[in-house]
Amino acid sequence: MSCHEIGREISLYCYGEVSSEVEERVEAHLAECSDCRHELARHRAFLELIDQREDVTDASLLSACRVGLRNAMHEDAKPAHQRWLESLRSFAHLDIPFRIPVGAMALIALGFFGARFTPARFGGAQAGLAEPMFSSVRSVEPEASGKVQIAVDEVRRHVVTGTLQDPAIQGLLLTAVREESNPGVREESIGVLQNGGDSAEVRKALTDALTHDPSAAVRLKALEGLKSYAGDPSVRKTLADVLLKDDDPGVRVQAIDLLTAHHDDSIVGVLQDVVQKEDNSYVRTRTTQLLEEMKASVGTY
Amino acid sequence: MHDAAETVSARLAAPLDEAGLIRAAQRGDQDAFERLVRTYDQSVLRVAMNLLRSPEEARDVYQEAFLKVYRNLHTFRFDCSFHTWLYRIVTNICLDHLRRRKVRKEESTLLDTSEGVVDRAAQLEEEGAHSNPERQMWNRELAGKIDGALSALTPRERTVFELRHYEGLRLRAIGEIIGTTEEAAKNCLFRATQKMRSSLEAFI
Repeated sequence: MSCHEIGREISLYCYGEVSSEVEERVEAHLAECSDCRHELARHRAFLELIDQREDVTDASLLSACRVGLRNAMHEDAKPAHQRWLESLRSFAHLDIPFRIPVGAMALIALGFFGARFTPARFGGAQAGLAEPMFSSVRSVEPEASGKVQIAVDEVRRHVVTGTLQDPAIQGLLLTAVREESNPGVREESIGVLQNGGDSAEVRKALTDALTHDPSAAVRLKALEGLKSYAGDPSVRKTLADVLLKDDDPGVRVQAIDLLTAHHDDSIVGVLQDVVQKEDNSYVRTRTTQLLEEMKASVGTY
Repeated sequence: MHDAAETVSARLAAPLDEAGLIRAAQRGDQDAFERLVRTYDQSVLRVAMNLLRSPEEARDVYQEAFLKVYRNLHTFRFDCSFHTWLYRIVTNICLDHLRRRKVRKEESTLLDTSEGVVDRAAQLEEEGAHSNPERQMWNRELAGKIDGALSALTPRERTVFELRHYEGLRLRAIGEIIGTTEEAAKNCLFRATQKMRSSLEAFI
């Protein structure tokens, strides 16, 4: 084994990460080579040196983390509707002048979506009614007959089955994309919707998810769904915006890949901005190539 | 009451049957989940803190990692060790943080204050250091240099180096955690070590 080869193996040898065969060869070489023994001593000094980096975690940080986790798990364990109600309740405590009109609008929206979820609206879809997931007693009234009348509010899960062509199913999927608190459900809904054929409403839902969804995985799924619409000028405008504003490099990479499939002069300005601001080298290179292919200057100057 | 206390202490004293704990937690046993967390949370926080050198980010990683475990534990099929599965989650979140930091060039722990640039990690270390002023100064300078050298590594090199050198994990396990081969992890460790050594040559 040469001195050059030893140089490569020494760091792994010090960590005990070489095979026994290599270990024997390293040791045989070290026994005969004072330069490499010196190199080994220096490497061990380096390892001791970096061991002096102190552990910066302390007990109070660990306690804070444990408390934070417990609270987050407690929140996580609550049903989605309870979290929603609590956020609505905290909103109701805000002392702001537009609270009443906004609250009224929220109630109208609640009525609207409530109506959408009514089984009668499902038409051809088969709806199954499950046991109540959540219930609370609203009032208790003893009657003269000795019976008791109890008013119970219940939240039940409906199981709805139908094809993608069923407007009720499509309506539910579109609602899930926008309303559902679980990103996994939003992602699944987008995945199903994109196979359901073209419609202005589906396209709008995908564009909205791409520009507004907080989950990068959902945005990526929406991008995938928009692939077949990449020639549409309004979709291309959205893709250019995403390229400029999305903070996830993975999403930007997918966006530029979709944009390069078509040439469109109206987005040259945005692409020039991207070249100036983009940190991701792949996105920058692809954008530059696209500008060059479009015979546009790379900078705005 | 006495019986209940005995049961609790017996449970705590029982040898840790990790597979049993995981299965119990998968069935929704909160106590079992809490014991799993307590088994690993110090090392999770240490890895996050050492990789990111920011208490705020380390706390975020801790919470995000254990919430992911909590939400996805039912998908754990014992194909690998729980330790590997957990570290995979933690290192992926840390890598995301490091990449985002690199992309946005939000350089790690340096804070621009009215009294000049202050290193938050060095401050933290100083608080826990010995009272010897010379030692403190040496520690601070060295800590700054080590952090600087670590920051110059790629996120992947830094993760491999941290897990091998500071956490003492074997390269085969690291390969499994970061989703690569042992050989690739070896090459990554070699590159990281070379870079670290050349940055710290003056201190050796």
